[in-house]
Amino acid sequence: MADIVFGIWDGQIVHNGKSELWAPKLAPLQDIAEYEPGNPIQAIMGWDGFFVFDPSVDLVDMARAYMEVVQRESCGKCVPCRMGTRVAVDLLTRIADGKGSEEDIHTLRKVARLVREGSMCELGHTGMNGVLYLLDHYEGVFRESITKGVRHPRRSYHTKVTAPCIEACPERLDIPAYIDYIRSGRYTDSLSIIQEKNPLASVCGRVCVRFCEFACRRGMLDDPVDIKHLKRFVSDVELEAAVKKQAKEVRIAPDAKRVAIVGAGPAGITAAYHLLRKGYRVEIFEAMDEPGGWAAFGIPDYRLPRQVLRNEAEVVLEMGGQIHYNQRLGKDFTLKDLRDRGFDAIFLAIGCQLGTSLGIPGEELQPKGYYPGVEFLKRVNRNEPIEMGSKVVVVGGGNVAMDCSRSSLRMGAKEVHLVYRRTKAEMPADKVEIHEAEEEGVHFHFLTNPTRLLVEDGRVVGMECIRMELGEPDKSGRRRPVPVEGSEFVIECDMVLPAIGQKMDVSCLGDPPVLKLSRWNTVEVNPDTLQTSLECVFAGGDCVSGPATLIEAMAAGFRVSHSIDQYLRFGRVELTEEERMSRVLRAVAAVDEDMVDRLGRGVQRIQIPTRTVEERVDDFEEVEMGWAPEDALLEADRCLRCYRILLVATEK
Amino acid sequence: MTILMDGMRLNAREGQTILDVAREHDIRIPTLCYHEKLKPIGSCRMCIVEVEGSSTPVAACTTAVSDGMIVRTHTPDLVELRRETLKLIFLKHPMNCAACEINGNCQLQDLAHEYDINHTDLHTYNIRPVEPEPGPYATPLIQYHPRRCILCGRCVQACVEITEVGAINFKGRGALARIAPVERMGSIKPECVSCGECMAVCPVNALTEALGKKRGKAWETRKVKTTCTYCGCGCQLELNAVGETVTAVTPVDGGVNRGALCSKGRFGYDFINHHERLKTPLIRENGTWREANWDEALDFVAKRLVDIRSESGPDAIGALASARCTNEENYLFQKFIRGVIGTNNVDHCARL
Repeated sequence: MADIVFGIWDGQIVHNGKSELWAPKLAPLQDIAEYEPGNPIQAIMGWDGFFVFDPSVDLVDMARAYMEVVQRESCGKCVPCRMGTRVAVDLLTRIADGKGSEEDIHTLRKVARLVREGSMCELGHTGMNGVLYLLDHYEGVFRESITKGVRHPRRSYHTKVTAPCIEACPERLDIPAYIDYIRSGRYTDSLSIIQEKNPLASVCGRVCVRFCEFACRRGMLDDPVDIKHLKRFVSDVELEAAVKKQAKEVRIAPDAKRVAIVGAGPAGITAAYHLLRKGYRVEIFEAMDEPGGWAAFGIPDYRLPRQVLRNEAEVVLEMGGQIHYNQRLGKDFTLKDLRDRGFDAIFLAIGCQLGTSLGIPGEELQPKGYYPGVEFLKRVNRNEPIEMGSKVVVVGGGNVAMDCSRSSLRMGAKEVHLVYRRTKAEMPADKVEIHEAEEEGVHFHFLTNPTRLLVEDGRVVGMECIRMELGEPDKSGRRRPVPVEGSEFVIECDMVLPAIGQKMDVSCLGDPPVLKLSRWNTVEVNPDTLQTSLECVFAGGDCVSGPATLIEAMAAGFRVSHSIDQYLRFGRVELTEEERMSRVLRAVAAVDEDMVDRLGRGVQRIQIPTRTVEERVDDFEEVEMGWAPEDALLEADRCLRCYRILLVATEK
Repeated sequence: MTILMDGMRLNAREGQTILDVAREHDIRIPTLCYHEKLKPIGSCRMCIVEVEGSSTPVAACTTAVSDGMIVRTHTPDLVELRRETLKLIFLKHPMNCAACEINGNCQLQDLAHEYDINHTDLHTYNIRPVEPEPGPYATPLIQYHPRRCILCGRCVQACVEITEVGAINFKGRGALARIAPVERMGSIKPECVSCGECMAVCPVNALTEALGKKRGKAWETRKVKTTCTYCGCGCQLELNAVGETVTAVTPVDGGVNRGALCSKGRFGYDFINHHERLKTPLIRENGTWREANWDEALDFVAKRLVDIRSESGPDAIGALASARCTNEENYLFQKFIRGVIGTNNVDHCARL
């Protein structure tokens, strides 16, 4: 626990660790006493204030260092930020060198105001705040430097340039940068920013759940920037050239260390991509006969055409990796086999393949017309035979439930009913998905829960449901649904698709499992390093987190590539600088009452064109169409470029 | 919709920017990076205005109007901010206007005058000199002057929007940023086509012709609107002349080219004053050329065509038309060869 000697954020002051105003919000900041083991944090300086933990920190040098980062990051386009921050750097350098004059402080204030008021984007808009606050509250320190000619030696600091959207993205893509390149019509540059981290740009551009957009500050003005579809736009335009480019860059030494990846899903592909770029020999073992994992078998073609996924996933092959298909862990090989075959490290990314059952009577009979949702989707996506019913009931409120409902319609079901035990507001599915399912005519039954499967002659003939009402909030803060006694009713149907969750197939790890499992029956890992109970085995994606999102799985793949790289080079795994800074950033963000108080550029959010319901409901062709370039440029122009800079001063 | 600008109630339409509305109603908001032919850039910050509800000023060129918006374009605060911004520009941009060809015809100079910027103003900043790294430009036909450059971004935008090439972009960060050729975009290197659109939109003469360096002062230059002679497109342009010497080609609005030009039209004017230029028809007599007038030359050609045709038949004659002519002229030419001369031996130089 570190006490804040003095701090100011959003104009609110903390003094000697006491601040009744936002004590709970302050807790995370006080908890991060050390930047890394044995290296305490002395001060933090950011886009809307600063915090001093150790009064011996050199504030003048810190201010100069911060300003140098702003100048270095200034894109050079608008005058106040480009030249104003340079003036500020020079003034602060003079003061820090003991050569400043009284007038310099006045000039610094004046120029700081100009940069803040006059700059084009949020980098300039916020870059001066920390220095202005320092001048307000520690002016004496600056004056002393001037009057006594004190020299402040240069120290090094930890700095990070980020934005709310970047931090919200599990993979931390540099979103404003790639949007800016779209804005200036430079699509290839834009795509290469994405591909620094994300090998599946056009997949994400279609099906990402877009944490970034929920963090987008444009949303405080009107609607968030449509980041997802901008990504799709550049990847559609530039994909072919870019895939080839990635393939060319890789050089892998024949004696490089070998990494085995189990599972060619988003996590596995991403890990392979980054490990190949780091020069390792990578082989992927995939149980199915094509790449993509759940993205291939769980996401229907009308959202993500298979060929799009294949094209991108196969970048791994073009880079010199191998994918062995039809190799199922636990059946065709074991983790020990991989060790015996000479792999130096293993990444387990096998996902959650099994559907959770409803736990209602009738289910145990496995009647005809009853498919776990994941099984149904897999069959649809693989063109395997399904005995389609005409009246389908889907249970659940997530994206898988939406996929099941909409796929059923496309498979020829006359009527599709969706049963969900809470209300529409609580549905975890993407709002766009819910809307499109409604458009296509899926009947939604909210506050309804299945109680019994009605089976005749080994066939589903109906499902008994009960009405629910919302009771007290549970741990997640959502109000817990409770059944209304005596409200049972029957929905006649000939097909039931439960889509209420997925779990990992634990059996592939042997009996007893060779890896330690969590109490949710997922693989237990060190959350920072993704290392499992076996030193050389790492795990990530759904098989660790439980069923989650594509981008989180990809982030795990990206993370694990660092871990494996460190493990193979040094034998131990540590947090990266980026992750350390993100930890501090999260603590700072907790006290940040963010708001947008100036108008943005451009127009209203541009809607993505979709095929009409009549056109789309009978086939699996893509529902959403891409943007024309002029629309993409208009949308890109809406980005506020909320770049912000964080600086951490540490003892060492 | 209506907006309130400087206390006046003005009609505005959906999709207009604050600057659009101001210009429509003759309210002057200073601009530097804004150019009618390009999408608004918003980088120079000259057009900042105050909008009620916004904590800081916004650029008039990039901010859309909304119904009931209250805008102020000339408060003392704004004037001060614009003045400070101009001072920052002059920390790099040299003030020796006398040495510059566009002296007297320069938006930046006008603004410096309007906002009363002078040398002594800049001393308070006392910063280290800003010297961007020198480097080549995208084409040898154009010279880039990094110190003059105010990085408004017009050239970059023109290259993307008008020519759709994207051969130049910002390079470097902060005060050391400059305009430079794009080295590589993924696997593609965009090739400059030397059209000079970048140069044409530059407001501060930071891009100049590398060959014809002295192009005369604005006040001694005469501008003559004419049609480009290089091909049949019929692009409109303005020949700039000092005395009888053509010193530059500048774009003119309108015409089929809507102000755009190609490298030949823009840079290929030195033949006009070249001493070897053919100015009259020549007739070869006894192995040497002599000057003739047009009547004489045309009579001679007509006579020879008639003679050859009657001696050896029409197929002894072949004709080749020039790509510098229009479609209509080319049509007439082949009609003449086929209908009057009576041969199909006619072609066009563009096929060669």
